[in-house]
Amino acid sequence: MADTILSVKHLQKKFGKFAALKDVTFDVHSGEVFGFIGPNGAGKSTTIRTLLGILRASGGSATIFGKDVWKDSVRIHEHLAYVPGDVYLWPNLTGGEIIDLFLKLNHQRHTSRTNDLIKQFELDPGKKARTYSKGNRQKVALIAAFSTDADLYIFDEPTSGLDPLNEEIFQKNVLALKLQGKSILLSSHILSEVERMCDRIGIIREGQIIETGTLTEMRHLTRTLITVQTRQALPDLSATQDVHNFKRSDNTPNKASFSVDSDKMDKVMQTLASLEIIGLQSTPPTLEDLFLRYYQKGKQGDGENEA
Amino acid sequence: MKHDAYQQSGFLTRFNLRRDWLVILIWALILGGLMAAVAFKFNDLYGSRSSIAAIVTTLKMPAMVSMFGTFVARAPYTTADIFASEMMVFMALFMAVMNIYFAVRNTRGEESNGMLELIRSHAVGKQSPLLAATLELFLINVLMGLCYFGGLQVSGMHGMSTMGNLLIGIGLAAIGFMFGSAALLMAQVSDNPRGATMLSYLFLGVTYLVRMLTDVQNPDFTWWSPFGWIEKLSIYHKNNWLPVFLMLGLTIVLLLLTFYASRHRDVGAGLLATRGGRKRASVFLTGPFSLVMRLDRLSLIVWVIGLVVLGISYGSIFGTVGDIMKTNPLMGKLMGATAVDAANRLVVLKFAALLMVVFAVLVTVPSVQTLLRINGDERKGWLEQIHAKAISRGHIFGSYVAVSLLIGTLSMFAAVFGLWLANNSVMTNPLSFERLFRGFIGYLPAIYVTLGISALIIGWLPRLQTIIWAIPVYGLISLYFGNLLNLPNWAEKLTPYGWINQVPVSNVNWTQFGLLMALSIILIVIGFLGYQRRDLIEN
Repeated sequence: MADTILSVKHLQKKFGKFAALKDVTFDVHSGEVFGFIGPNGAGKSTTIRTLLGILRASGGSATIFGKDVWKDSVRIHEHLAYVPGDVYLWPNLTGGEIIDLFLKLNHQRHTSRTNDLIKQFELDPGKKARTYSKGNRQKVALIAAFSTDADLYIFDEPTSGLDPLNEEIFQKNVLALKLQGKSILLSSHILSEVERMCDRIGIIREGQIIETGTLTEMRHLTRTLITVQTRQALPDLSATQDVHNFKRSDNTPNKASFSVDSDKMDKVMQTLASLEIIGLQSTPPTLEDLFLRYYQKGKQGDGENEA
Repeated sequence: MKHDAYQQSGFLTRFNLRRDWLVILIWALILGGLMAAVAFKFNDLYGSRSSIAAIVTTLKMPAMVSMFGTFVARAPYTTADIFASEMMVFMALFMAVMNIYFAVRNTRGEESNGMLELIRSHAVGKQSPLLAATLELFLINVLMGLCYFGGLQVSGMHGMSTMGNLLIGIGLAAIGFMFGSAALLMAQVSDNPRGATMLSYLFLGVTYLVRMLTDVQNPDFTWWSPFGWIEKLSIYHKNNWLPVFLMLGLTIVLLLLTFYASRHRDVGAGLLATRGGRKRASVFLTGPFSLVMRLDRLSLIVWVIGLVVLGISYGSIFGTVGDIMKTNPLMGKLMGATAVDAANRLVVLKFAALLMVVFAVLVTVPSVQTLLRINGDERKGWLEQIHAKAISRGHIFGSYVAVSLLIGTLSMFAAVFGLWLANNSVMTNPLSFERLFRGFIGYLPAIYVTLGISALIIGWLPRLQTIIWAIPVYGLISLYFGNLLNLPNWAEKLTPYGWINQVPVSNVNWTQFGLLMALSIILIVIGFLGYQRRDLIEN
């Protein structure tokens, strides 16, 4: 197994009586992109701020590069770049000044790569931060982070204010970092983004990690949507144990769609095969399906349903 | 069409009042309470003919005139006359400060934090938020006026009249609303709250200085300063209403300009637009210290210049202040020339000693403001990315503390320097730099200890950090009024400003200097320990 860059074990954080983090456990390995997803208020930003030593954990442990995130924060941060979800910048400094300041604070220089990123994201660095929109403030933080040479990159919903073109540029740069073997922790609401880029995913709800694994592994835990048409008469399968939401087509005979638990696929397929399949369509669950399923299990999630 | 622009103004006003009621109540209790408490105490203090005569002599001295305004009452003097001449300038100053606070906060403040945009997206008129803020300001001033009037009515002060009390209430409300309207205008001119506040204080500062200089030289010219109008009410005597109408007239002009400007600009924009800047950071911007310096650069420059000007203004009346022959010719004749000279010097030195307190309290304002930014900038999210860098909390805390100490030291020096500069040109026998410098060195520990206490609160009780302001406010009131109100000795010693001996009259007490410096360092370190081990304040 690859080296563990970031390791969180049973992390807890209380604000007075309110437990924002109850039990957060996950690892980020060297060279992987780890997706961190969950609805608003689930504890994503609290976890990240604890990892950065801004908040002090009430229990459990968290290490980055094998060092304690609270005690050794400065030494950890030498090799870390971070972009917060809501970027707020000093209104009377320009974007260019802030980018340079951020680089200098990590003993880095404004390189040709920085200029290249400014061009890619089409930022005007001569404007005061007060005049920037949310998206432009985010670009400032992203340019500073991408031109920092770090080992671990933490992005907290970094694209919430970016347009699709800039989101594309963001994804391109993240994939480039991945090719260089950098590790990335990406918290996001945009599930297509996570689906496209992340090697492994952790889902957090109400301060608890409820699932971690690769997308493939997670798919096994859920249902696949099947649409099938058979030559022989298709019996009503809704009584079968592993089949759910069985629904016949209104205009085509012997055609139906249903979902099936992914690990029970085998049995259902055998049944269908004996009925002579004419057409079969199987749609693996999208991350969004997974996400919704997890949240609807408990109480109604308040996550934005971005596709 | 016309009324569309002001739709829902009434609703927004009620909403604002509901949002702000606690802050309004606190201001009303403090200012109204101060006024009433002083009025209640005045019969004890200045009830007898002899005590009145003694204080009148004091109040007629140019030094006192520069602080409290011209003494206009005619004999026979009553307790109420003393009250009016001691309180009006001071209370008007507080009213202006309160109004600037509310005016900027409720207009430009709401605009820059994005609330205005949300409100404007609803079915409200374009000018409604501004009109609501104006109405709220008006109602606050009416409330304050009522508090003053009510407090005075029940105080039973000798020599007061209902008409005079009413004029005090209305006069203070009118001058407050006038400065509030000026601040509303400045909120249209500048495109950020800090700029608007600075411009408002610039207006207040200039009118105040003009009032002070004209009062000492020739009170007739005080009519030229809108701030000076408060002195022209001639309370309990002629009860002159003309200044009130002047204030209202100027208020209307200011409000018309405000609404005109507001109609002709976009949300978020000001008449003074934010200019672009450097594309790359300067070589000096390298870390937290230089960052805080850069952020507070404008504030530092404005305060240093402002305090030099204030120092020069006060220094320029040293000649008049230190002329006993003029104020008390009889005493001058009784003493010899050298004795007169020595007495003159003593008067000036005592005046300088009082000024040092005023300077020290004023200087506390920008330095505490910088220190409070440790938590303020945090709350705004500006520091989140700095914390993710290889920068320790000690480095960040230390940078704010260092800049704050620097601003305090430089501003205090600027004030004393201005004093010395002007005193050189107006006095035949000017005070030496060394002599005045005692005031600077003497009061530094008081400023530093106040900053130490602030650091302590910032580190351990970040949510209560606004209570720090009680120190300079109480310090100013207790020491400014201490002698006039016969406050007990311990009441003046509650703040660090009261611990300092009478510099520059006497020498700097070096033992105390060392002890207080050590105390301030200890306080800062304890504050830092709290800051280091707690959660940072995030939204």
